[in-house]
Amino acid sequence: MSKRLSTSVLIRYAILAYWTLFWLFNLIDKVVGGAHFLWVGRDRFAQFQKYFDSVGLDSPHVANAALAFAGALEAFAFVCFATALGAEWKGHHGSARRWSFFGTLLTLGTFTFFSIGDHWFGDRFELLEHTLFWFISLASWLIFIRMKPGGNGTIAASSTTPASAPEMRFGMTGAIAAILVAVTATAIFRHNASDFPLRTAAVEAEAVGDHLYKVAFPFLGGSTVFENTLAEFKTAHPEEAIQHIYTVPNPLRLKKADALVFYIITEDKP
Amino acid sequence: MTERAILRSAILIFWTLFWGLSVVDKVIPDVQFLWVGKDFFALFIKFFASLGLKDPLFATFALAGVSGLEAINFALYLTALLSLRKGVEALTDAWFFRAILSSVVLFSLFSIADQVFGDRFQLLEHGLFWLVLIASWIAFKQTPSDESSPVSWSPTSAGRRVLIAGGILTALTAGSIWNFSEATFAKASEPVTGEEVVEGVYKFDFPFLADKRVWEATVNTFMADHPGLKVRYIYTGPSELNTKKKTHLLLYVFTEAQ
Repeated sequence: MSKRLSTSVLIRYAILAYWTLFWLFNLIDKVVGGAHFLWVGRDRFAQFQKYFDSVGLDSPHVANAALAFAGALEAFAFVCFATALGAEWKGHHGSARRWSFFGTLLTLGTFTFFSIGDHWFGDRFELLEHTLFWFISLASWLIFIRMKPGGNGTIAASSTTPASAPEMRFGMTGAIAAILVAVTATAIFRHNASDFPLRTAAVEAEAVGDHLYKVAFPFLGGSTVFENTLAEFKTAHPEEAIQHIYTVPNPLRLKKADALVFYIITEDKP
Repeated sequence: MTERAILRSAILIFWTLFWGLSVVDKVIPDVQFLWVGKDFFALFIKFFASLGLKDPLFATFALAGVSGLEAINFALYLTALLSLRKGVEALTDAWFFRAILSSVVLFSLFSIADQVFGDRFQLLEHGLFWLVLIASWIAFKQTPSDESSPVSWSPTSAGRRVLIAGGILTALTAGSIWNFSEATFAKASEPVTGEEVVEGVYKFDFPFLADKRVWEATVNTFMADHPGLKVRYIYTGPSELNTKKKTHLLLYVFTEAQ
């Protein structure tokens, strides 16, 4: 007899697990602070400090206090969702509902707090982002309470299907997926073998006019490529001095096909 | 208190603050002490100028019309919130519905303008706000009934554990924030040290806290430290040179011997 998993229960777990992890990683980001080996995160202190500085409050303690308040909301939201997840796991659905409600309330409070800041500091993109998260939190709670733990839906196949049919379907799906995984993985590894050196290799500057050279970067190119390119250019053109570098702005690039393109304008050395 | 009442309050508080602060943003022009906001006047002037309507009267009338609608929205949400506080559900529903309808009309107008002015990103932004408003109304109506959703505030053992764990995590987070702030705040003003990456070319990796004052201090310090060099040219590294979210700003200073 196969065990049937209720789709409602799975959705309830998915919602609680998502918000628990969401707030856990937000909290870790605040505790870690700055970019380190294996963690970049976001420098929230720099962001808050600049926001408050822009309204004339340049003391770091103002940014610290606001960040600590946001951190407190996030810490309690995390603990509430983690408690709800634990209660759901133990089958205490009433308790899970109660703690997920408190978690949702703290989530709504956090995003309302952030939205006030977005209006205040004039960051309309963040206002959209926080409003969307605010709504996602509200909607996910309404979905959570409508997913009854004893719901009828299951992820097992219907009992009217012949016993061998689902196994065949699983086998075929698995085979197709395995072939696609193999094809994709091979393509990725081949691309890596051929293109990874582009991450550091210098790019050759192409002469496109009198004392005018074009450098078209590969997508992998970064500051190391830029510096190596400059070094190679100076070695290749010892009689010329770089007078100016012009970065081609986005509207002049071929949509997404062009990576960074810049022109080196030179003059003869005296 | 019930889940229904608390969630409905949360929804109304969010939208009341949203429109209230939008109105404040229109009342306070430009950037002031304690308020930055967004310069909608400049935005409207540019939009209308792009249509060939360079007279500021067009932008002023449009902005005044929009601000008026926003003020009406705010008043409608505030009335719904006050009705909720008084516990008059039918009245709350009626005022909230009027507020939602009025807000949806405003975002529809914004979307029309976005298409006329060709701003597709703002069109997406306004479309999403429009959707969230309608969905908020549905969520408001779908909150569980009072009978099924009483919220117990009585202390339980789980509640005590949540308070203790939340308190410890808050203290840990706050301590970490203050430590990080003390360790890095100096970067908001001190000059950045350059590294010679190519002969005569110096790279400056600016921290996230840096702003124009750091740039000035950096250039002045560099020139003082290198009296034998003349700055020929300063190149701001485009975002493609950054290591995704880890690098804030790269600056290259090209020099030559004096």
